[in-house]
Amino acid sequence: MPNTNVLIHKQNTARKRRVDQIMKAIFTFTALLSASFIIIIVGIIFVQGFRPFITDNHGLGPVNLWRFVTGDVWLIGNTFASNLYSVGYAIVSTLFIAFLSLLLAFPIGVLTALFIAKIAPKPLSKVLRTVIETLASIPSIVYGLFGSGVILQIVYDLSATFGYQSKGGNSILAVVLVLSLMSIPTITSISEVAIRSVDKAIIHGSLALGASQTQTHFKVVLASAKSGIFTAAILGIGRALGEATAVSLVAGGRRSGVSFHLLDSTSTLTSLMLEGIKETTGLDYDIRFSVGLVLMVVIFLTNLTLNAIKRRIGTVHVK
Amino acid sequence: MNSCSVEGVFQVENLNLFYGEHQALIQVNLPIEKNKVTALIGPSGCGKSTFLRTLNRMNDLIPNCKVEGTICYRGENIYDKTTDVIDLRRKVGMVFQKPNPFPMSIFDNVAYGPRCQGVKEKNTLNQIVKQALIDAALYEEVKDRLKENALSLSGGQQQRLCIARAIAMSPEVILMDEPTSALDPIATSKIEDLIIELKKQYSIVIVTHNMQQALRISDKTAFFLLGELVEFGDTETLFTHPKHPKTEAYITGRFG
Amino acid sequence: MLNNRRITKIKDFFLQTITYLSSFVSLGALLIIVGFLFSKGIHLLNINLITENYLSTGFVADVFPDTPLCNCEPTIELGENVYYSPKWGIALVDSKDLLGKNVVEIEYVHANSPLRQVNDKGIGIEPIRLRTDYDMIRIAFDAYPTALSRFGAQNMIQALEANNTIREMEFQTTGGGIRGSIITTLYLIFFTLLFALPIGIGAAIYLNEFAKPSRWTRLLRTAIETLTGVPSIIYGLMGLAIFVPLTVSLTDATGGNILSGAMTLAVILLPIIIRTTEESLKVVPDDFRQASLALGANATQTTFKVVLPSAFPGILSATLLAIGRIVGESAALVFAIGTSIKDHITVTGKSTSLAVHIWAMMTDEPANIELSATIALIIVFITVILNLVIKILSTRYLKRKLGGAHE
Repeated sequence: MPNTNVLIHKQNTARKRRVDQIMKAIFTFTALLSASFIIIIVGIIFVQGFRPFITDNHGLGPVNLWRFVTGDVWLIGNTFASNLYSVGYAIVSTLFIAFLSLLLAFPIGVLTALFIAKIAPKPLSKVLRTVIETLASIPSIVYGLFGSGVILQIVYDLSATFGYQSKGGNSILAVVLVLSLMSIPTITSISEVAIRSVDKAIIHGSLALGASQTQTHFKVVLASAKSGIFTAAILGIGRALGEATAVSLVAGGRRSGVSFHLLDSTSTLTSLMLEGIKETTGLDYDIRFSVGLVLMVVIFLTNLTLNAIKRRIGTVHVK
Repeated sequence: MNSCSVEGVFQVENLNLFYGEHQALIQVNLPIEKNKVTALIGPSGCGKSTFLRTLNRMNDLIPNCKVEGTICYRGENIYDKTTDVIDLRRKVGMVFQKPNPFPMSIFDNVAYGPRCQGVKEKNTLNQIVKQALIDAALYEEVKDRLKENALSLSGGQQQRLCIARAIAMSPEVILMDEPTSALDPIATSKIEDLIIELKKQYSIVIVTHNMQQALRISDKTAFFLLGELVEFGDTETLFTHPKHPKTEAYITGRFG
Repeated sequence: MLNNRRITKIKDFFLQTITYLSSFVSLGALLIIVGFLFSKGIHLLNINLITENYLSTGFVADVFPDTPLCNCEPTIELGENVYYSPKWGIALVDSKDLLGKNVVEIEYVHANSPLRQVNDKGIGIEPIRLRTDYDMIRIAFDAYPTALSRFGAQNMIQALEANNTIREMEFQTTGGGIRGSIITTLYLIFFTLLFALPIGIGAAIYLNEFAKPSRWTRLLRTAIETLTGVPSIIYGLMGLAIFVPLTVSLTDATGGNILSGAMTLAVILLPIIIRTTEESLKVVPDDFRQASLALGANATQTTFKVVLPSAFPGILSATLLAIGRIVGESAALVFAIGTSIKDHITVTGKSTSLAVHIWAMMTDEPANIELSATIALIIVFITVILNLVIKILSTRYLKRKLGGAHE
């Protein structure tokens, strides 16, 4: 009798082990698949993005890479009949707009975080935190719609009072306002965590020296949280650089020339990718991959620079 | 009129303190004398740290904390409604149990207080910082690296930095809450020597759970037990001829 | 010294003011955005919107035989210039369409009206419901002049009253319904979760249960985390380059379709699902695993029977987060699914989701802000509800976890 039991037990154990091996293989596969997507994405954008530069593009000739990256005009010549594309001006506009959006959203976001974490009474903190979470969950297309319906009107009226003819309100200012609005929730929520994690002992130390609450907040709390706050800024600018549909509704689709005037229409790399997507083919279609490639390079370099600055900030002394 | 008479630096009269329902200090009456080191001793939870924090109103930061009685400082009751708390804290400095330097440079740490007061002139600040570091017996060790982050200092150095930070405000009184309990013996003895030097310029109130420390450095000692001031007097007298049986029991180590 | 205190107080006051102002920017922004969406979009929000086709369709129909005449009075208050036919139980009104042309609109149809459901002459068997706001173009009778919309509502009503039978009538549906996009969005949610959940949960299980922490697992995690920094439009390009051709070659699809869109969305959601699942797997106490293994179960049984059920609330939260993201995603889907607004939805045919529908309308000439705002209201509503449910779930889960720790 014991022999049969042992035999069954041995068979069961062997079967269980085989099941384990199979399942482990399946799980490993899913993990590898998930991790490989980043490589696939980068790879495909590279391959498709480079194609217009090295192939003949159905007789139009290869696109000049240098001109593409530095040129001032989206397209010289007729669509589907020319290969003279360039996004140089859009690179400048994209960076300029992202920088301005951060300039606007960063102080508002950080101060809101300070308010929620340290100054506001608990019930008000809860309300504001919910407001921020709700704003964070609103999809970008709704922000674009809001921009199109409300912000364009405001900018248009604003430019009229200054006597400036704006393209129906489509302008750098409109894009900056929409992007700032979208970045504020991100910056606020991450900064709030950083601010709340500042050691109480430091706050007490400051107050014991006869500093006021406000002085303590601005000189000590924000300084102590600066690493987390800087991360918030990096994420905020990342969102601004990559936003597409919302920007495309308020930018104005500028076809050439760099302008730093707030009320001028503009194009970003992302809005160029969406421009005219509904009826397009051939090189005009493929070139969007190249624009996407440029976008990824810009984002990568920006992140690199900002992270380098972040490491420096840790050691530089702050007043 | 918010005035009261004070002989020494502080005159504490009928002080009662409540954390919500619980009474932490019961009818405390105590003078703090000028240019002397007053030690507060007693077992854990007896209220000595709480009492220390009443002297610069740091208890205000604790929710549900209620204070009754008067603490007379410079002719005014510091618990009066018209008291400027910020001004009080500039004259009554505090050093905490665990060193808490700000995440800034050594220079900025010491200059923090004066800057909050509005001192901006570079030379003035340099002077203040240098003098404070000298008085805190730290200057020689850090004079070449004032711009370095304060967190790069050792524990003992950080604590002396916190003392320098407090001194930079030119306070009248320095409150110390177990300043050496987180430090090694060598650092401890350095700070004890420092305190003996400092009392020439400042009045010091120090909370300590180390009776030998109280004996070594203090002039006056107050013994607290369960929120009450049991005995107060000259240190030597209190330790050699304690008047109260409970004092004697604590000193001889029968409890605590 | 006193002067310094005053200066400090002024500086402090200034800083406090800008802090207060900044904090209320977000509150104000939220109110204005919601207010805008409501003011533009609420009046279009009705049940018809969700069930109607987007494209306005014309029909020629006749009355089902043996349907009795109504001879009824209206059950609601009809306005000033509304004309009512008691015989047929229908009310018509003169109106203008979006282009300014004069049209005759149906204002009200009585429950017992023989015209409530009419027979589609084009297809034959399917009855069509005659709805308010449809445009009545003409009604033809036997031996009586045809009533044309050109002559107005009153004329049509008079003609109806003068006849007991209708030969045929021609009308136009209002269009602007979002049924197609809603169905597409639902399909997208289903297929995206179908693709993303197994892969994501599987990867999380591998990283947390099967693999030992090492440089290798850290590399995998970094690779997965980097995905979160990629803008969604880039995912769209990837979907366009890989998943669209894939589905086109494997099925009868001719371009962007629901499957390619779902695959693209699945990739976008992988990091979120993996991260959230890993967190909820970590929370499951090791004791559970040890106990299961000690009882003779293998790792697979332990995972499926013990660990996953405990981690279920976390996985549920991840799913809800994913749904929220799917409903709101626009840039990636412009490329991965296309922007054709369709009424007849198939998994491999062209269609679009609610969010892209907004973008497609807003980039048209002229832009339809009202309908866009209505759709936006629906999307925001769904997102808010989802977030609320997630919050309730996580607080209850947290309570259970803390309560369990006290045992």
